[in-house]
Amino acid sequence: MSRWIIRGLSRGIKTTPFPSRRDAAAEGAPSAVQMDTTALTPNEALAAAEICPTTALTSTGDLRRGRLIYDIRQCVLCGKCVRAAPRSFHFTKDPRVAVSDPSRLAVQVSWAEDLKTDAPVEPDVEAVGRQLGDRWRRMFGHSLHIRHVDAGSCNGCESELQMLSSPYYDLVRLGFFFTPTPRHADALLVTGVVTRELEQPLRRTYEAMPEPKLVVAAGVCALGGGCFASSPLSHGPLDRILPVDVYVPGCPPTPLALLHGLLLAVGRAEQRFSAGGGADGD
Amino acid sequence: MSLIERAREAGLDPGRGAPGELHASCAPTDFAQMAAELLDGAILSDLFATVVGEDRIVAAVITLPADDSWLILQTHLDSDRFDSVTPLVHAASWYEREIKEMYGLEPVGHPAPVNLRLHDWPESVRPMRDGLPGPVPRVRRPDQIPAVHGQGVLQIPLGPVRSGPQESAEFLFNSGGEDLVMVSPRLGYKFRGVERLAEGQSLDAGLTLAERLAGISTFSNALAFAQAAERAMGVEIERGHRVARTLLNELERLHHHFGTLGRVAEACGLAVAAAQYATLKEEALRLGALLTGHRYLRGSIAIGGMAVALPETGLRTLDRALQTWRSQAIPTADLLEATGTFTDRLENTALLPPAYAAQHDLVGPIGRASGLDRDARRDHPYSAYAGVRWEIPVRREGDALARVRVLTFEIPQSIAIILALLDDWTVAPATTGPPPSRGGSALGWSEAPGGEALHYVRVDDAGRIVRWRARPPACVNWHPFAYACASGNNLTDYPVLEASFGLSHAEFDR
Repeated sequence: MSRWIIRGLSRGIKTTPFPSRRDAAAEGAPSAVQMDTTALTPNEALAAAEICPTTALTSTGDLRRGRLIYDIRQCVLCGKCVRAAPRSFHFTKDPRVAVSDPSRLAVQVSWAEDLKTDAPVEPDVEAVGRQLGDRWRRMFGHSLHIRHVDAGSCNGCESELQMLSSPYYDLVRLGFFFTPTPRHADALLVTGVVTRELEQPLRRTYEAMPEPKLVVAAGVCALGGGCFASSPLSHGPLDRILPVDVYVPGCPPTPLALLHGLLLAVGRAEQRFSAGGGADGD
Repeated sequence: MSLIERAREAGLDPGRGAPGELHASCAPTDFAQMAAELLDGAILSDLFATVVGEDRIVAAVITLPADDSWLILQTHLDSDRFDSVTPLVHAASWYEREIKEMYGLEPVGHPAPVNLRLHDWPESVRPMRDGLPGPVPRVRRPDQIPAVHGQGVLQIPLGPVRSGPQESAEFLFNSGGEDLVMVSPRLGYKFRGVERLAEGQSLDAGLTLAERLAGISTFSNALAFAQAAERAMGVEIERGHRVARTLLNELERLHHHFGTLGRVAEACGLAVAAAQYATLKEEALRLGALLTGHRYLRGSIAIGGMAVALPETGLRTLDRALQTWRSQAIPTADLLEATGTFTDRLENTALLPPAYAAQHDLVGPIGRASGLDRDARRDHPYSAYAGVRWEIPVRREGDALARVRVLTFEIPQSIAIILALLDDWTVAPATTGPPPSRGGSALGWSEAPGGEALHYVRVDDAGRIVRWRARPPACVNWHPFAYACASGNNLTDYPVLEASFGLSHAEFDR
């Protein structure tokens, strides 16, 4: 056993300084695609909607008068729009992309003669973004027990969740713990499209959790379905089934984005991201 | 005897399809007998159905250990029934059950034609054949999950919601005291109908779906899909792109193997070893992001080449990282071998004897740990594998320890392959546009981390997908899982047993 201890110590400390500081080494992968509504031309808007493999980018109208909706709940981060219109679409590597207000997940641009930005599109669920803040922070700010349910994922999200327990991220240092039983859980973290077979187990897990409880939707499948959105087998999006407190975009969300989502859920981080370009301008 | 000679001896006159493919057909009444004759000593790589309009096809993909070609034996059915191959060739069993539940084609004579994935679906719904008009009602059907009854036998259900951040699946343990008498997996919770969704869509959209078949084998499945599409359309891939694909195929193997070994170590309570492998996995994922912009290499491959050019700075970092990984992974594996609490738990656990593995035509590290000397990279060279040399580990013990040893052996081999590729690197800019589309059909394959991934794509002249069949390794390797569970293990062995298989649910359920 002593050889294992020496072996463990020999690699030194690997753990990310996030969230105290940004961690450039862990930010190699993009966390989300942002649309810069100021640079977008109608031409690019129509081309981008054409090239998008999901319904993340949808357009109506033509070059003279039209509209483009960018809905991050369907974005699988394939990067096709980024390559086709690099001035208007860019990858953000800032991992702080989780939001509690779903209206930040979609943005709409319309044009008639000149290009102009409209307000974010209305979310199709009512008042799902609960006010997070002091109450949750007092209750769960020091310790949050998380029950994860895979509701029909590709296993990419689980792979990233498993990485949270690795020395690089070490979620326990932040007071987050995975728990096997819903009875001990404060938060339900859901990945996947919510398949027909997993809808019931998901609901029952939620019902078995004591109040108060939080729900985190992680990954594009849980947010909106991504490339599975059109499948009748996908019963999601998750916020149609359960009240969602935090949305973490990504395909899959990076470990840092997941950490940000959990911190946001307990009121220890701010939501900064919006699909139409955030204040930080990464 | 080569595959073509064998087919001719059986009275077939095979035509040639895409390079390395032989096509033959026979009458539906001869199909089972013909397939069994061809499969004597050969390998059943896939058995699947295609239904386009009134045309109902069942096709078997057959290969020989020492032949790099594939034979597709197909038959056009004149009814919704066909003679089951299973009584003659056991490896056909799960394929036929899938054909029945997904296409409603009845394998007549199959000993147990119960559904594999769709447990409470009405018989009339055939998701791959008719598509899905809307929500599928639930029907109560007699419980088809085998169970053991008797004095002292306890049934313990596990799942579908598992204990940690894991994939959803259900297992019914039948235990007598501490002994695991039988484990019945109930799979299919994650059925998303991926292949059906791709039908009618462009190859590009199909590729996006293929990348999302399973997260940890993203690249291998996307590569197999892309190669099937390219071969169907007669597209040649330039050397630079073939080399890049080979490199990423190996990088994915590394992060998968690190992850799987980490989970085995965790199941054995070795926290340091688990942390070591998790650290290596994270580093491999970060390098993937550096090279392609995605940790799991999504969006890196394109039909006809590569969607991204691997940056030179990233390749230099990779070169250094490979040396580090080798200097970390080898001593960690040696230390595992020297740790009695680890080897004792794995030895003779979850046994799959070579004869049993051969009967199921297993693939990948699980097959190689049970004496099957198969590797698609060598047996059916693709991308740039024909130009590199590496060793393939084959063991005959067939226990969890053998599976771990195969994985630990493959890590330095993958590192050596990548280093060899880097020595002779050809810079290749990203592909700009899709290749001209042309109708056709072909097989495409890759050696995914878990074993051979075999895809079949049929595309029309407009470049739309008519049929996509994905047969990732988990579809083959789940088959013997229950048997391995029942080979004299006890309840506490289960975490080790499951981790040593490291099978993907997303790949199986699809």
